[in-house]
Amino acid sequence: MKRWLLGLVALTLAALAVPLGAAAQGKDTLTIALPSHAPTLDPHMHFERVGVLVNINMFDSLLHRSAKLEFEPSLALSWKALNDTTWEFKLRRGVKFHDGSIMTAEDVRFSFDRVLEPGKEKKKSPQYGNVRAIKEVKIVDADTIQLITDKPFPLLLERLVYFGIVPKKHVEKVGEEAFGSTATVGTGPWKLVEWKRDQHIRLEAFDQHWRGKPAFKYVVFRAIPEVATAVAELKTGGVDIIRNVNADLMPDIKAHLQTRISTTPILRVHYISLDMRSAPFEKKAARQAANYAIDKQAVVEKMMAGLGRQVATVVQPAAFGFDPSVTPYPHDPKKAKELLAQAGYPNGFDITLHSSAVDWRPHFEALGQMLTEVGLRTTVKMWDPGPAWNKFFQAEGKATHGQYGSWGNYSVFDADAVLHPLYHTEPGGWIGKHYARVEGLDRLIDEARSSVDQPKRKRIYAEIQRMIREEAPSVFLFTQNDTLGISKKVAYEARPDEWLWLFAAKPVN
Amino acid sequence: MSAFLIRRLLRFVVVCFGVSLVTFSILHASGDPIALIMPEAPEADRVQLRVALGLSDPLPTQFVRFVTNAARGNFGNSFFHREPAFRLVVERMPTTLGLTCLAVALAIAVALPVGIYSAVRRNTVSDHAATAVVFLGQSMPVFWIGIMLMLLFAVQWRLLPVSGWDSWASMVLPAVTLGAFTTPLFMRIIRSSMLEVINLDYVRTARAKGVSEWLVICRHALRNAALPIVTVIGLQFGLLLSGAVLTETVFAVPGVGRLIVGAIRQLDFPIVQAGVFLFAIIIVSVNFLVDVLYVYLNPTIRLR
Repeated sequence: MKRWLLGLVALTLAALAVPLGAAAQGKDTLTIALPSHAPTLDPHMHFERVGVLVNINMFDSLLHRSAKLEFEPSLALSWKALNDTTWEFKLRRGVKFHDGSIMTAEDVRFSFDRVLEPGKEKKKSPQYGNVRAIKEVKIVDADTIQLITDKPFPLLLERLVYFGIVPKKHVEKVGEEAFGSTATVGTGPWKLVEWKRDQHIRLEAFDQHWRGKPAFKYVVFRAIPEVATAVAELKTGGVDIIRNVNADLMPDIKAHLQTRISTTPILRVHYISLDMRSAPFEKKAARQAANYAIDKQAVVEKMMAGLGRQVATVVQPAAFGFDPSVTPYPHDPKKAKELLAQAGYPNGFDITLHSSAVDWRPHFEALGQMLTEVGLRTTVKMWDPGPAWNKFFQAEGKATHGQYGSWGNYSVFDADAVLHPLYHTEPGGWIGKHYARVEGLDRLIDEARSSVDQPKRKRIYAEIQRMIREEAPSVFLFTQNDTLGISKKVAYEARPDEWLWLFAAKPVN
Repeated sequence: MSAFLIRRLLRFVVVCFGVSLVTFSILHASGDPIALIMPEAPEADRVQLRVALGLSDPLPTQFVRFVTNAARGNFGNSFFHREPAFRLVVERMPTTLGLTCLAVALAIAVALPVGIYSAVRRNTVSDHAATAVVFLGQSMPVFWIGIMLMLLFAVQWRLLPVSGWDSWASMVLPAVTLGAFTTPLFMRIIRSSMLEVINLDYVRTARAKGVSEWLVICRHALRNAALPIVTVIGLQFGLLLSGAVLTETVFAVPGVGRLIVGAIRQLDFPIVQAGVFLFAIIIVSVNFLVDVLYVYLNPTIRLR
């Protein structure tokens, strides 16, 4: 009996000891925690942030965006607009794919064609909408291509920053499925070693990458859904970088000896979209009242650890077209009450606001309380993201007073990326088609969208910002930061576009 | 026996049909997956995709198509992964089953001796202490136990890995967490069913014949107390599979539970349907095994 027990204990200890030794990682490996993996490693066949973060380290696009948000040459050495609808790109020579083949203009055209699928009724890439304006990809000579758009498309360069170039011959040889799972090949700094679904994606440095060798030989993206688990892994050295650290977790990570925080403002703006089709928000004074009612600074300071900034409209300082002369609504409950009375509601009004932003529930409730204090007696309703979408964006015609949410602009640094989805009323638009009814706004958005004359666009956007500040189709709230938790053994800083561009990461000794 | 098997098979078919119908209805009532797949796409593109995925047909048509395909093991392609949903679920099943079996084994290993001890020494301080621990264990939610164990054993003492599923060491914390969820119940059942038999005549007779206390408990008492215990273990197996959902999320275990949670969030109907269906099959099978075990444990029971 005793010998049997002793054997069991010895066996258990042995089993525990072996993997522990193996788990210890050298300084040549950089490990990132992501909440999940995208369904594919194919850069064109998904639309998920977690997939983009992996893909940008395996694939290059024509353009790269620096940490300061400036366009930089990548696979394209230079680019210029020949006219309103034609852009010409000079390609970098001698760039190698992970399989050793040389990147050519054919590969570039193939990459666009597999998303655009010209002539095909049904498009299979979820990114089609991003580049649908491109009508034709023309090969001028071995090092030159032209992108021809169907109308002036000022966002083209923004869209090209994440548009991976894939090897034509290889994709045709291995097929789409293998390309997205086991035989993924790009020109980026790291190449695929192994993808174990829901566990890890392991990459190894590509020694013939045109930028040179990255500082870390291996990069591992682990899938860890639970935030508390990711934090525990960070503290014990199991991972080196975690994303989306909430304000309440920050002190813990800051205080720990081996971890630190890196934070930066990102392109995500919070707002309450007001239903302008029915009472009370059909009246401008009521919408302005809601804007005066909110103490934005208090929310940012007390609930977001100061990591945010109040905004005048939904257009943010980092976006093209931002006009600093438009200022945020001050917090003025007295004025809010006056305006509400002026709108015809001296005794207030009962409203219901909806949201599916589960992580922001406390903030949502605080906002509801502030509105209640000026007479807009608010019931806040939280929805599961799935059914909530259904409720608000399918069931048109149902008055719901308003919706609290945030918009991330898909990291496109241009006013259009937020104005069109939030306020344009065309069918197929996003929230705007349900809630926003601002006279003349559609026309201005369209005008700015179809011009490549940047000073002119800037003037239009300034006009739009003054207009929406006055008309108040939303309660304009605040921006937020993206906060990374980082091991002190790694030098890396958060980027305003939320990318993890790991070529910039270095080990610290 | 064959009549029993046929009846069981029929019941199995009815259960599977019922499970499919309920899952199908709930899923289709819960929202439009297209809105999640293409959040910013124009309506025309959405309509196109809806037609392509067969979501534009009337619900009864969709259900009939789903059932006929499912009967052939085809649950359709996952909306997001664009691969057969059944394959995605089956790939992850060994992990979830492994975790669940480990947890059951652990729970039995702890509950059996403690339960028997509590029964033999009933109403003593140690029995009451065990009961108190039981209540404490049952009052703690799985994810909380998981995070506490993780903080102590992985972060504080650095004895085990925080998360993952790639070594024996990484399996310890998830298995203990899931096991802790069910141990208290096993313990109570073992204690009370032991109490029922421990004072019966044949046990007393065995004692009177001078059989050692150890043998009396194991061979005479436990064997007869085993029926309810086995039943509860069978029933708990299903609950444990669902508990695996939380455990897998906390410890980043690549199992079916996590897959289904993700799929529910994205309204990925085929995966949810395939997953729930497979869970149903497993639970029905386990209960079938339990019935068969009855005969072995108590030869007076006939399967009808």
